[in-house]
Amino acid sequence: MAYSRICGLQDLASVREKALDAHKRFRSRVLICMTGCRAMGAVELCRVFREKLAAARLDREVAVVEVGCLGQCARAPLLLVEPQDFLYGGVRPEDVDEIIGRTLREGKPVERLCAGSNGQLTPAMGDIPFSKNQRREVLANCGRVDPRRIEDSIARGAYAAAAKVLTGRKPQEVIDEVTASGLRGRGGAGFPTGLKWNLARKAAGTEKYLICNADEGDPGAFMDRALLEGDPHAVLEGMLIGAYAIGASHGFVYVRAEYPIAVEHVGIALEQARACGLLGENILGAGFSFDIEVRMGAGAFVCGEESALIASLEGHRGMPRPRPPFPVQSGYLGKPTCINNVETFGNVPLIIQKGKDWYRSIGTPGSTGTKIFALAGKVNNTGLVEVPMGATLRQIIFDIGGGIPKNRRFKAAQMGGPSGGCVPAQYLDLALDYDSVKKIGAIMGSGGLIVLDENTCMVDIARFFLEFTQSESCGKCVPCRVGTRHMLDILQRICAGEGREGDIEALERLALDVKQSSLCGLGQTAPNPVLTTIRYFREEYEEHIRLRHCRASACEALAPAPCAHACPAAVNVPEYLALVAEDRLDDAVNVIRRRNPFVSVCGRVCDHPCERRCRRAELDEPLAVRALKRFAADHARKYEAALLPPAKGKAQVAIVGAGPAGLSCAYFLALMGRRSVVFESQPIPGGMLALGIPEYRLPKTILRKDIEFILRHGVELRTGTPVRDLADLRKEGFKAIFLATGAQKAAMLRIPGEEFEGVQDSLEFLRARALGRTPRCGEVVAVIGGGNAAIDAARSALRLGARKVLILYRRTREEMPAYAEEIEEALNEGAELHALVAPKQILGESGKVVAIELLRMRLGEADASGRRRPVPIEGSEFVIECDMVLPAIGQVASAEAAHGVELTAAKTVRADMATLQTSAPDVFAGGDVVSGGGSAIEAIASGQRAAVAIDRRLGGKGALPPEVNYSLRRPTEEELEKIAPRVAEELLPLEERRGNFREIVRGLSPASACAEAGRCLRCDLERRM
Amino acid sequence: MSVAETSAAPMAPALKVLAEMSPVREKDIIPLLQRLQDQYGYLPREVILEVAARAGLPASRIYGVATFYAQFRLKPGGRHTVRCCRGTACHVRGGKKVAEAARSFLGVEEGETTPDMRFTFETVACLGTCFLSPVMMVGNDYYGRMTGSRVKSILQQYP
Repeated sequence: MAYSRICGLQDLASVREKALDAHKRFRSRVLICMTGCRAMGAVELCRVFREKLAAARLDREVAVVEVGCLGQCARAPLLLVEPQDFLYGGVRPEDVDEIIGRTLREGKPVERLCAGSNGQLTPAMGDIPFSKNQRREVLANCGRVDPRRIEDSIARGAYAAAAKVLTGRKPQEVIDEVTASGLRGRGGAGFPTGLKWNLARKAAGTEKYLICNADEGDPGAFMDRALLEGDPHAVLEGMLIGAYAIGASHGFVYVRAEYPIAVEHVGIALEQARACGLLGENILGAGFSFDIEVRMGAGAFVCGEESALIASLEGHRGMPRPRPPFPVQSGYLGKPTCINNVETFGNVPLIIQKGKDWYRSIGTPGSTGTKIFALAGKVNNTGLVEVPMGATLRQIIFDIGGGIPKNRRFKAAQMGGPSGGCVPAQYLDLALDYDSVKKIGAIMGSGGLIVLDENTCMVDIARFFLEFTQSESCGKCVPCRVGTRHMLDILQRICAGEGREGDIEALERLALDVKQSSLCGLGQTAPNPVLTTIRYFREEYEEHIRLRHCRASACEALAPAPCAHACPAAVNVPEYLALVAEDRLDDAVNVIRRRNPFVSVCGRVCDHPCERRCRRAELDEPLAVRALKRFAADHARKYEAALLPPAKGKAQVAIVGAGPAGLSCAYFLALMGRRSVVFESQPIPGGMLALGIPEYRLPKTILRKDIEFILRHGVELRTGTPVRDLADLRKEGFKAIFLATGAQKAAMLRIPGEEFEGVQDSLEFLRARALGRTPRCGEVVAVIGGGNAAIDAARSALRLGARKVLILYRRTREEMPAYAEEIEEALNEGAELHALVAPKQILGESGKVVAIELLRMRLGEADASGRRRPVPIEGSEFVIECDMVLPAIGQVASAEAAHGVELTAAKTVRADMATLQTSAPDVFAGGDVVSGGGSAIEAIASGQRAAVAIDRRLGGKGALPPEVNYSLRRPTEEELEKIAPRVAEELLPLEERRGNFREIVRGLSPASACAEAGRCLRCDLERRM
Repeated sequence: MSVAETSAAPMAPALKVLAEMSPVREKDIIPLLQRLQDQYGYLPREVILEVAARAGLPASRIYGVATFYAQFRLKPGGRHTVRCCRGTACHVRGGKKVAEAARSFLGVEEGETTPDMRFTFETVACLGTCFLSPVMMVGNDYYGRMTGSRVKSILQQYP
């Protein structure tokens, strides 16, 4: 298209009219994103669309326009149909016919392609949660114009602000407007733009330069790229206005060489702008001259720093310079130079067109306007997001981003790239702006927002960022060059399992030194990721160093097989899964028993942390490890056979409590050749396994099998024998004690009416039945709480004859700590869940419970753990009739026997994280009495670790049975890629569950088990293969 | 990177570029080197010496710039550059496995070229396509949502 010079405001208006008319020729436009979506086939899609429209003779009515980023990149390739604004995602060339037929001819949406359909049909872009929670001001034209046709941008108002300024405003007026608007630099530091422009204007000299910093080097940031590729004129117009304001006649767009499309589009935009007289000599006939040159970076992250950028433009190595003098005084070639970020320039035309007051109405007082974020990482709707300043992470990640894939837990959001910091869950409701983010130790940064979930290791993230900044360090100053190297060495050692005491403190000291004495922003901010991860995730560092444990199972040196590493007892999961697939079930059981004696039990009740880390989940679904463990236990032929002959000799170790922790400790000590005596106050062994978990989940016969297996190794069990004082055990001659008395009491509600008859400790309720006493069960039972104990109590009450069972929980179902399957089955069996209610008082008559008064709650802001705090709604009291109340809101550690042993503030026993030793050197503790209420496998693992520590204390090696590699099976290449769904265990039909405690879950069939076990990718073999 | 002794490169393309960009001033060194590398795929020794002569600068200055920036190569590269992204979003979604698969298939380390001059293997800190992580580029073609197992079939398409 031939362009002619635009000579003034009138001219511009008429060009705009003409362009709008040209659009009106078409009754419909098909806009296809050609920036990021190219990677997913947009080019081919465009070609096919044009072909088919021509063949259908619709090409004069329907225009196919190649546009910039439409935002919802996760559904690439994206396509927008005007005028209905139907947004389609994941469009393939094969879909084009249908789009033509149904949408272009009939005006109806093609439902399966709607980008917004996650259960709900919202074809129009403005209705999709992703879009409707955003405010696209700077990105308004991005995705609506062809960036290679200036007339498209002019049709939507481009250059109107510049024209207004050049033909009717003084430069100082422009600066004042920008200053008053509160615009702050969007490159990361947030320096007030108006102030920078003022300084540049006031600087001495007539030769001044304006530079657009498009060297977007932060890994994870692609906002500037999208803006330059999709709406370059917004940026050029901003530069034109800026140049006029400060009096610059030359400008540069310094863009990374890694952005070839951006370079191309900016080049085209410049050519066309020049042809229209919007750039160059005597712009718009108003007497102002300004032109822009494109310069490409050459692959140095440090050149995003302004003084290094200038050095690069001057043909030097990109090394920063000391400041003062600042670039606005002496920059490019020693002349006053104003450098602004791409997004900053994108904001300028809006401020001029709509005014400072309009701009100030958006955002927060200290940070006005909007911010564009590049949302990436562990989030469903990755893409480009623009929100007002002051939006919260919860809004961005959950409302817009659609939350974390595969229902995993949010861990932190990395803001500001390698210069920034991670923001943990407790700040999900923080209104984000420059100042609030700085207060919590992070920086707003340029807009990269990477979402991290529970499978991300925070130590690895710090190491990752430091690796980056270390390699990008220009080398000029010692603190950065040497300091980051030293910090990186420490982090690499920690991630390799070679961390040492004192490493965390060394990192903190180095970080401060590097921060305070580096020459430029790269060095000054490089320690930030380290500092914020230590601040908010210090335990992860400690676990890496002291326990060689990576809780995300991400550090490969520590966790070659994430499942085995995630298992608190370090069971060799991939090995036994392979043995199950080979039908060698006794061998599989043998492998498990080297780390966990409770094979049948865990096959039924374990909460399988291994499955949460299973890498197969990236392909389709995690392995059903627990179900396979059960299968092996149920079908092994020689299940009773002991691992070793019974231990002999005098018992030197006393174990208090025959729960999973105590019995495991006894078992492993026996394997090390040490006898022990287990003291149990109740008439039967098993602890919570017997007295807490109802039989429909764990039958007594099953539990007995595993306990008998343990006792067969030479463990002496004395039931009905409480221990009142540890000193008595020492008198009996025991040289070491393992305290594993659990947490047997339910926490009190502490509300009026708790003393009425009918209010019963839920754990006591469960225990009574287990001990053979049928507890009295009410007609209408109200269970308070959301954990497993609450669900156990509720489902037990249903079986014991309650007419109605209510589960009352103060947060929502999503936040309940109980296993999802348990909650599901409780509701299937008829329990009613009342979420967002909390008890205010229990009402009684004649000393008996008749009702419970509740307050409705709403979810407030995140607390320190990241969960949303329940907040009472004033005046919302209401009453539910009931005749029994079972509080199950937490457990209290049973530490009565722990004389002479230090307790924590929460009244649990304090024990060392690695050795489980208490303040008394001969006393070790584990299980619920230390944790206050954990899982069975955690208790078993603590018993195992205590056995190791106790054996060492008594002069032994603390050696657990060696690992074995019996399996022969290796997965093939095809198996590693083929999608195969996970099998599910069948459940007893609901009718057959009424009034009895029969086991609900049926095990897998041999065929299913073999197929399921075969899905394992054998991550543990990657090294050895 | 060393002052490589490569076999002598033809000077005609360089002279053409230099003619278009004369006079050679210090501030234009980087765009000049970028255009020269476009011609040859790398910066031959003789070309760098010619640039130094034209700019009136010591050759060490030009080498200083060429070795500072990651973009410049002093050795010939392969016909296709394979770039595996190691940016944050790609890292968090398993980019390392993709890079390892590429390294293992190509049989060369990062920065090296296969003996048959078909591929040069690089990793890049960020390609700006984070929403499709993990990402791999071959030449100017982008491949998103990569897995280690897809690497082989993609690379086999390139002659």
